[in-house]
Amino acid sequence: MLQSQDTFDTTRKSEKPMLKDKIKLEKVNFYYGESHAIKDVNLSFPERQVSALIGPSGCGKSTLLRILNRIYMLYPKMRASGAVKLDGQNILDAGFSMNELRARVGMVFQKPVPFPMSIYDNIAYGIKHHERLGKADMDVRVEQALRQAALWDEVKDKLKGSGLGLSGGQQQRLCIARGVALRPEVLLLDEPTSALDPISTAKVEELVTQLKADFTIVIVTHNMQQASRISDNTTFMYLGEMIETGPTAQIFQAPKVKRTEDYITGRYG
Amino acid sequence: MASSSTSLYRRRQLGSLIALTLCGIATALGLVFLIWIIWTTLLHGLAALSPALITEMTPPPGEDGGGLANAFMGSLLMVFLAVVIGTPIGVLAGTFLSEFSRGKKLGETIRFVNDILLSAPSIIIGLFVYELIVRPTGRFSGFAGGIALAFIFVPVVVRTTDEMLRLVPDVMREAALSLGIPRWKVTVNVLYRSASTGILTGILLAIARISGETAPLLFTALNNQYWSLDMTQPMANIPVVIFQFAMSPYEQWQNLAWAGAFVMTAFVLILSVVSRSFLNRKGGK
Repeated sequence: MLQSQDTFDTTRKSEKPMLKDKIKLEKVNFYYGESHAIKDVNLSFPERQVSALIGPSGCGKSTLLRILNRIYMLYPKMRASGAVKLDGQNILDAGFSMNELRARVGMVFQKPVPFPMSIYDNIAYGIKHHERLGKADMDVRVEQALRQAALWDEVKDKLKGSGLGLSGGQQQRLCIARGVALRPEVLLLDEPTSALDPISTAKVEELVTQLKADFTIVIVTHNMQQASRISDNTTFMYLGEMIETGPTAQIFQAPKVKRTEDYITGRYG
Repeated sequence: MASSSTSLYRRRQLGSLIALTLCGIATALGLVFLIWIIWTTLLHGLAALSPALITEMTPPPGEDGGGLANAFMGSLLMVFLAVVIGTPIGVLAGTFLSEFSRGKKLGETIRFVNDILLSAPSIIIGLFVYELIVRPTGRFSGFAGGIALAFIFVPVVVRTTDEMLRLVPDVMREAALSLGIPRWKVTVNVLYRSASTGILTGILLAIARISGETAPLLFTALNNQYWSLDMTQPMANIPVVIFQFAMSPYEQWQNLAWAGAFVMTAFVLILSVVSRSFLNRKGGK
């Protein structure tokens, strides 16, 4: 079966079997108080690829993403069980350092949230916490991050200006820059373009495709075209269960499960 | 059909008109008294205003001249003491409520108790501090006054800090935490910055609130006819002087009371306007 998939997907061929799983979920369950939001999910996200999570609202895709950096811990009454292995280490272990985890697994949210500080400080703030850098080195890092997020040319003359003064699309790229500035290994994107106009969306999508050279990316999206445009793998979720996962081309062109096909062709969801 | 729906529409319009009129009358009623109070204070206060007000001490009964210098100074010192004690306690407690006791019974309980303290009659607080400090130390003092004011100041600051921090959207916390920055640092660097104008406004309004408090000072700082910066001694202050002078039969005392009331009102008014302009500037950004 693996064989046939490989021939089917001729564009991404030879390197494929060598891909390492960056994150591997084993029998993951998640509870919001009494409600059982994620049910026995087994799934893996390969290194340096874009993996998309799709499914109707409330299917648990955002929840799943929020387990990967354990940001759900901010709220009471939420808990996860099972194992989520980042390079083989279970991040759900009580001993796993949250600050280390989040430095390694960055996240960008649906709504852009610049911190109430200058554009420069928005990027530098996170770096300062993890590394001791001189002014010159910091300048380089900030520029690098802004360039990676394709924002440098637009903001290079107003780095001291407030991050809140940027447009929505620029703010979102600022947030991406803030995330990549820490040089994480994984970048989680939670519907990063749903609040943006089409031009900003195109820029962010292009950015995601470029970023996968350096990062493992997991993106939650409501936009099926977006998933098919930018992802290498797609996972379809429904009512907290993982229904189907595979290479994007296969999921979109020849889904194996009827429900996936129904969703993708717009019959429900 | 058509006519019944028109009559329904008319009835609603009439209802709306009546409700609007009642609202208008209620607003006018409130405003009339407010303007009346301010106008009277202005009229009598302005007439009594003179440079001597801030250079001379409170006069003995029946004598001409004199000012309120000692009372202004005393009020200033005690309010300052209350702010110095109350701000850190209030801000830290508010932070605890908003950031570190979410969904916990303890936080809910503290918030509830704080709300009770917020509306506690200030005379009770005066009596409490009287028992707490004045009786054991054997005398009325500026310290006791400042501490009594702090008791009124703290719950206001706790409440506003808590509310302003809770207004910061959760996604801001998530964004900062997901950079691997610990909770306390996120609170100090990101959340305080977002909520700073709101918290500052709360503090200014709390200052306005305590600078007019009379009952707690009556039991704690009492009064002092002389210039005194010694916080361990009874201390003059504007509200108690107004209380004492306004009730007296001496005209000069009454005039001074009006002047004090005028300065006090102006101070509180300016403080409120300044703090609102802080908020507005933030809204406009």
